[in-house]
Amino acid sequence: MSLQNLSIRRKLILITMLTSSMALLLSSASFLIYDLVSFRHLLTQDLTTQAEIIGYNSAAAMAFKDEPAATATLSALMVKGDVVAAVLYSPDGKMFAEYFRNDKTLPAFVPSRSQEKGYRFEGRYLEVWHDVTLNGELLGTLFLQSDMRQWSTRAKRYASICFVFVLISGFFAFLVSSKLQKVISGPIMHLEDTMRTVSANKNYEVRAVKSYADEIGSLIDGFNTMLSDIQQRDTALRGANDELKTRTQELEEEISHRKQAQEDLLKAKDVAEEASRAKSTFLANMSHELRTPLNAIIGYSEMLEEEAQDSAALETVQDLQKIKSAGKHLLALINDVLDLSKIEAGKMSLHLETFEVSGMIEEVVTTLQPAIGKNSNTLRVRLADEVGTMRADITKVRQILFNLLSNACKFTDHGRFSVDVDQSTEAGLDWLRFRVTDTGIGISAKQKENLFQEFAQADTSIARKYGGTGLGLAITHRFVHLMKWRIGVESQLGGGSTFTVHVPAQATLERVGPIQAEGNSEAFDAMSQIKIGRDTILVIDDDAAVRELMSRFLGKLDFNVLTVASGEEGLRLAKQVRPVLITLDVVMPACDGWSVLSKLKADSELSKIPVIMVTIVDNEARGFALGASNYLIKPVDRERLAVLIEKHRITRFASITGTNAVPVSRLSHDPKHREVDAEATERFNVENLTSRR
Amino acid sequence: MRLLRLITLAIMILPSSGFEAHGQDSSISAEYLIKAGFIYNFANLVQWPTNAFAQLDSPIVIGILGEDPFGTVLDRVLAGKRVNGRAFLVKRLKSAVDLKECHILFVSSSEIAHLAEAIHFVKGMPILTIGEIPGFAKRGGIINLVLEDNKVHFEVNVEAAKEADLTISSRLLALARIVQDPGADGKKAQ
Repeated sequence: MSLQNLSIRRKLILITMLTSSMALLLSSASFLIYDLVSFRHLLTQDLTTQAEIIGYNSAAAMAFKDEPAATATLSALMVKGDVVAAVLYSPDGKMFAEYFRNDKTLPAFVPSRSQEKGYRFEGRYLEVWHDVTLNGELLGTLFLQSDMRQWSTRAKRYASICFVFVLISGFFAFLVSSKLQKVISGPIMHLEDTMRTVSANKNYEVRAVKSYADEIGSLIDGFNTMLSDIQQRDTALRGANDELKTRTQELEEEISHRKQAQEDLLKAKDVAEEASRAKSTFLANMSHELRTPLNAIIGYSEMLEEEAQDSAALETVQDLQKIKSAGKHLLALINDVLDLSKIEAGKMSLHLETFEVSGMIEEVVTTLQPAIGKNSNTLRVRLADEVGTMRADITKVRQILFNLLSNACKFTDHGRFSVDVDQSTEAGLDWLRFRVTDTGIGISAKQKENLFQEFAQADTSIARKYGGTGLGLAITHRFVHLMKWRIGVESQLGGGSTFTVHVPAQATLERVGPIQAEGNSEAFDAMSQIKIGRDTILVIDDDAAVRELMSRFLGKLDFNVLTVASGEEGLRLAKQVRPVLITLDVVMPACDGWSVLSKLKADSELSKIPVIMVTIVDNEARGFALGASNYLIKPVDRERLAVLIEKHRITRFASITGTNAVPVSRLSHDPKHREVDAEATERFNVENLTSRR
Repeated sequence: MRLLRLITLAIMILPSSGFEAHGQDSSISAEYLIKAGFIYNFANLVQWPTNAFAQLDSPIVIGILGEDPFGTVLDRVLAGKRVNGRAFLVKRLKSAVDLKECHILFVSSSEIAHLAEAIHFVKGMPILTIGEIPGFAKRGGIINLVLEDNKVHFEVNVEAAKEADLTISSRLLALARIVQDPGADGKKAQ
């Protein structure tokens, strides 16, 4: 155990003893040294005096050469214990008389006359030289040597006394300090005991007892104060801890509750989403499935109607018209449902193209002409001068306008509609504003709230009175919202309504836009009458009903129609016949429409023949990518098909005749022209243009 | 200084180197050389009354009564020596009158017949009488030189010295053989 780690009791004793012993030793040593030094001085003086006396006494003997007398004088030194040698020398250095205490032949004893006078210490001997004179005349020299026995004896005695004294005082110092150190170490030990008790038992109620009002006393006070503080805090902490535990438990319960609820919610959400997806899928599937038979119903009823008209069976014509009308209504309903489900499933795609606004409106008006005239309404179209072309998905814009306008027709009796288009600039973008105004029954403020909801007409009675699915405005709203366009309505019950749609004049493919195909919607209406011989059109479709419908329809348009049921046959025939146009189905056994299209476009001889896809598969992006000129989805909108075919015939004619400019009759704002146009379009007898390409 | 003293010492000690004489002449010469030294030592250890000298530096006059046994030895030994600032003056006495001037009177053995007369004559005077005659001290002389075993010793008559008003150092007395005047006892008794 090192000195630092000794207990405070031992340290105190040790310090006291060391201090006292040190002081005692130092004082004793200094006293001893002083005493011995002065005693030596005394001895020296003593010996010198003795030398003087002996010298004086032996002077006469020296003078008279009386050696016995001199020896007798020296012998007197026998009394003096510590003189070991005394010698008288004659002036010539010869020994005259001598005295030795013990042995005459001491080797150290070789004095000579050359030595200095006075005294000196030689080893442990003190030597004195003294001249013997008589009346100032030098008679000889006296030499005395002392072994300083007195001095060494005294030194030894003193040292032993000191030693014993130090031992005794050390003993007493030990006794006293052992008793007295308790004054300091006692309270500290007590404090330590208390501390140990506290830390061992964690019992903060123990207190140290204060003995004295010194520093240790204040230390004990401080310790006690700290203990009380700790005790208080301990209690408070314990309380807080308990509370915390309770709270934690509560929180844990709460959390587990919430987790449970969250899991339930997630499950419910998954179920709901799954249900929603299932619904959408179901609707889409059903729509497709429904459309295939409808295709046949409408197509055949149209053909029968025409045949009936030819045979003037008027009743049959009316019945067939009812069948056709019901089928078309059903088709519109299915298309709307399909649109809605596509929007909900996020599958709506965009196809941007630049087109003439006037042409697009003309198409809509033409399509809606029967509806407009039905309730004795009049239509006015106004285009601002600055409105020319716009770049957007023409289908969507057309559908929106169609929906708004057909709504207006539906709810207006003996009134007026107007379509106003103008252009404005907002935030650096050109916007086209389409306004459709009617003088119909109007909408109440309350009805407005549900105006854009699916299957929500302003009033349930309306459905009975006016018919309709109630999906038109909902689709419009959804779509406008999706494209970040704007739609608004101003209306008063009984005071007519005004719907306003803002569409950017130059839309960009910010959102999911499939491959953009440069559509060229040059005006073509006026050219529809141009006939140039009978060209051949190849129809590739595995559906026999489609093949028959197509050949009848296209035959009416003065075409030779070849139909084949498979892709391979189609390719082979195309090489032989070189048709001016090919219509192509996608879903076919063996070689499907995509591969047929690819092969057609890969063949340098056939690649220039335009191909119009006519299919149930809704993937126009792929079709355009592979080189299709147009993309129509079944059931085929015959009017649209006719328009497209006309377009290709004109292009071909232009390239054949070498004329670049084909006279195009622009749609004018002249009502007379419009009437002509309306008649022209009516020839196709296509009433419902629902934007299916 | 020291060298000078050493030389002096050598000169002084030289005669004392041979206590024992080899030949007759040299023996006599050696004996007197020692005796001359003794006389010098006596002068050192005897104190005369102050009135014995005319002045502080007056010389100590040594008178030789009778036949001079020293020859030139005494003169040579004392030459240049001083005791308490006083030099020595050696006189060969012709008449008794000259005795009064002396401080030390050496009575030669030739004067054995006139011994009592001489002692009587100087009695009461501060004169140190030195003789070499057996019984000289007993007969009233102060110091008598005795030759024993070829060694010179001396006898001192303390009473005679007291009468002569001379103080003899105890150190001298320690070395001397003290003798008494037989008649003196009787006088005291009277």
